[in-house]
Amino acid sequence: MRFGEIRRGVRRLMRLAIRSRHSARRDAEEELEAVLQAREEQLRALGYSEADARAEAVRRMGGTLDDVIDDVIQSAEHRERAMSIRETLSEFGDDIRISIRGLRRDALFAGFVMATLALGIGANAAMFSVADRLLLRGPSYIVNPNRVMRVYRHSTRPDGQQATNSSYGWVVYDILRSKTESFAGVAAYSIGGTNTFGRGANAELVNVGAVTHDFFALLGVRPEVGRFFNAVEDAPTAPQHVVVLGHGLWLRAFGGDPAVIGKTVTMSDETYTVVGVAPRGFTGPVLSPTDVWYPMSLRGAATTSRWTTAWNAQWLQIIVRLKDGVAPARAEHDATAAFRAGYTGTSSEDAGSTMTLGSLRSTPSGKESLEVTVSRWLVGVAAIVLLVACANVANLLLARSARRRRELAVRVALGSGRARLMRLVFTECVVLAAGGAVAGLLVASGLTTLMRAVLLPNVEWTASAIGWPILAISAAIAIVVAAAIGLAPALRAARPDLIESLKAGVRESGGQSSRLRATLTIVQAAVSVVLLVGAGLFVRSLVKVKSLDLGIQPDRVLVTRLHYPSHASVLSRGNGAEVTRRASVLESAMRRARALPGVEHASLTIGLPFQSAFGQKLRVPGWDSLPTLKSGSNPLIFAVGPDYFETVGGRILQGRGFAAADRRGSEPVAIVNQTMASILWRGRSPVGECLYWGLDNEPLTVCSRIVGVVANANNWRLREDPMFAYYIPFGQERGFGGATLVVRPRPGLETSVMTELRTMILDLDPAVSFVRTTRLQDEVDPQMRPWKLGATVFTLIGVLAMLVASVGLYSVMSYLVAQRTRELAVRIALGARTASIVSLVFRSGVGMVIAGVIVGTIVSIWAGRFLGPLLFDTSPRDPAILAGVGVLLIVVGILASVVPALRASQVNPADALRAE
Amino acid sequence: MNLLKGTLDLLALKALAWGPMHGFEIASWLETRSDGRLNVVDAALIQSLHRMEERGLVKGEWGVTANGRRARYYTATAAGRAYLRTEGAQLADHVDALATILALRPSSR
Repeated sequence: MRFGEIRRGVRRLMRLAIRSRHSARRDAEEELEAVLQAREEQLRALGYSEADARAEAVRRMGGTLDDVIDDVIQSAEHRERAMSIRETLSEFGDDIRISIRGLRRDALFAGFVMATLALGIGANAAMFSVADRLLLRGPSYIVNPNRVMRVYRHSTRPDGQQATNSSYGWVVYDILRSKTESFAGVAAYSIGGTNTFGRGANAELVNVGAVTHDFFALLGVRPEVGRFFNAVEDAPTAPQHVVVLGHGLWLRAFGGDPAVIGKTVTMSDETYTVVGVAPRGFTGPVLSPTDVWYPMSLRGAATTSRWTTAWNAQWLQIIVRLKDGVAPARAEHDATAAFRAGYTGTSSEDAGSTMTLGSLRSTPSGKESLEVTVSRWLVGVAAIVLLVACANVANLLLARSARRRRELAVRVALGSGRARLMRLVFTECVVLAAGGAVAGLLVASGLTTLMRAVLLPNVEWTASAIGWPILAISAAIAIVVAAAIGLAPALRAARPDLIESLKAGVRESGGQSSRLRATLTIVQAAVSVVLLVGAGLFVRSLVKVKSLDLGIQPDRVLVTRLHYPSHASVLSRGNGAEVTRRASVLESAMRRARALPGVEHASLTIGLPFQSAFGQKLRVPGWDSLPTLKSGSNPLIFAVGPDYFETVGGRILQGRGFAAADRRGSEPVAIVNQTMASILWRGRSPVGECLYWGLDNEPLTVCSRIVGVVANANNWRLREDPMFAYYIPFGQERGFGGATLVVRPRPGLETSVMTELRTMILDLDPAVSFVRTTRLQDEVDPQMRPWKLGATVFTLIGVLAMLVASVGLYSVMSYLVAQRTRELAVRIALGARTASIVSLVFRSGVGMVIAGVIVGTIVSIWAGRFLGPLLFDTSPRDPAILAGVGVLLIVVGILASVVPALRASQVNPADALRAE
Repeated sequence: MNLLKGTLDLLALKALAWGPMHGFEIASWLETRSDGRLNVVDAALIQSLHRMEERGLVKGEWGVTANGRRARYYTATAAGRAYLRTEGAQLADHVDALATILALRPSSR
């Protein structure tokens, strides 16, 4: 008897009978018994007696029966388990093949579904990869990060306002370190700012962070190479200056050579010894990258000579690690008590401060940082898009399953079990979700790269845009999506009214599912409305921000500073000759810059909006003391060259600007801003009047004659209360200094002028170690980011949602028409006019959109209260935007319904009715 | 005589090269062809067959013997035949090596 290849189906039927554990056991016993009997027969044939044959057969079996039976059963069970797993997998493979075959027949449907899912899954994976960094994991390399907190200080200002701050002097760090018992560690850091690294043409600007020696141990980070610095090296008496290199700089400047340990490097023209390298992506308790870590004592010494005792110098942030078992509230109490007991400063406001512990994610003022808020919004919005996508896909699947009723009914009639049918339908959803996830990965990688570069440029990203987290998230989303969208069709497949379906053909029976589909369409439209209204509001905010009159035009202003070796030592030694020489170098640089063909204007200035500002004692005749403005700011003084206002784009309102003749030694003159003119001279022209300014210890006797009035310029923020500001000619300043070269290049020549400036200045003075040129706009831009982010994200996602919704509407309408072909044919046969058929279909499509618009508008108005604080000069209920979005959606709805409606009117009644 | 597990697998596969057999047929085939020198432990053979079925080397189906009894018939699969070719050659080589060494006598050098 020859057993050929047995067909799978038959084999499966047989396998089913012995699948269970119990039957595997019976199977094994039976096989054993069969062999035993055959052996007995053989032995009897050889002449053994019945009893001997039995005994010998048992012996040949391998000892006593009890011994062997268990072994045989075990091997049989093992085999059954392994084979049933293989069987299941192969069945699953069959299901997938069937699904793919089915979907290929309906490629348009599959394409729609996968594209929709790709958008939803891609957007989510991208958002989560951002949120993972900002919301969940926070900075890398912090061991047990929820026990590490930043110390905040709350005080009450004299005007009764609460102030929150996290900047301290070294002395507070010292108190918390030595006078508290709640902390396993206390450390301080001052991260931010840049230094020049290296010398000459190879010099680059690096981000630096000053930290106390206990900082690294507190976080729990371990060095990549070498070690971190110790207490001896972080002391004013340290024998040599040491640094720890960031991983990026180590790779960049030293090719990742471990031999860098012990070498000396030059930073801001001072020499440091490298003791270690931080691991890749280590950013301390913040998210921005740091290239060089250096001891806090060096930073302190650069702040003030009394840095270990001064209460009014506040330059560092303090982090703590809570001891195990210590609650934050108790630690806060402990810190407050220690601070108050140790406070020896003079400020009564500070003396009563309360200390609290807050998350590392918050900003120094205790608020959630912008990046965190934004990523929270991103995740929320992305989730909404995914919901819309799922609703859309569920809609398409319902439509398809309605169309497949007949096929499913046939399958049931041919003997497929309900469970099998459900599995088939469900597998199809899994295949669709998997396809969507793969395509979504492409979307995600693009979106992630975009978001990192454009929206969150100040965050150190270590993982590549598409790493395993994003893969894992996509897979997880796909599984959830498959379950969510697959459930309804699968359940429907489980209860097909067999006979009914076969009889009814593909006609839709019952209004329940079409109501469900209508609801899903309305929800999609509503969500699109909400997102697009959000987009509109943020775009309008951004437009308003961009069109703000700052009093200057920073978009085309280059700011150039010269860095010299040993800046501090020259000044402290009072090397007058060198100071004068440097001033003349800057002067020549300004003149040469002005002569460059790509430059419109150039000027020198001391003090520059969004960069630096100075104050001096000021007296104006007629005022015993100057009125305090709402901004609370002291009057600002700027010393500016002749071409300054042309260079930065300021506007002279009355009188004149400074001329070349206004310089050191010439008649003291001044220009005041509009606020000063209107308040201090009460609207009369101040031109020709006197103002008196000087150092604190000087009598104010020298009249500076006012020669002009200039428009108010913002000094720090995009929106701020007006301040008094006055300008004196460059060269007439006393008691403040630090000139900056400002240059206005011709449009489009910014980059080439930047290079020319650098070459020209290095050529002019070989002693210059580094020329730093930045755009003034770069100082302003970060302040626009909230609106830029909101506008970008909401527009992107709102348009996505609208596309998805319109595709959904179109497909639903198409299916509706296809299903109602018979009904429409009857109507046409009975004499309905084309127009009435078109309007019949049209009305239902547009009706759903209008319902969605109404719901969406109501939700938008309600949600406005949350969005309001994030907007700029824009009402969250802006009627123009609400109306505009509504009209847009309705137009899209009309477009999506037109084609199906026209198709409906072209139904040929004879063909349609014959087809049934 | 005790056989190594792997060896018994190969011998059973070899028997199945002649066609589908049930467990006892395989055992007696081995006994006959070895002139009674190989006495297989029946339980070990059954377990070996189970293991090989799990690995896809043989396929087992219930059938009926010539004298009307139910028995589990085994057939070598393509994978089983390939296994027999490669592993069988190795075993033969191995046995030859053993025989050579065991045939050595101290005086023969």
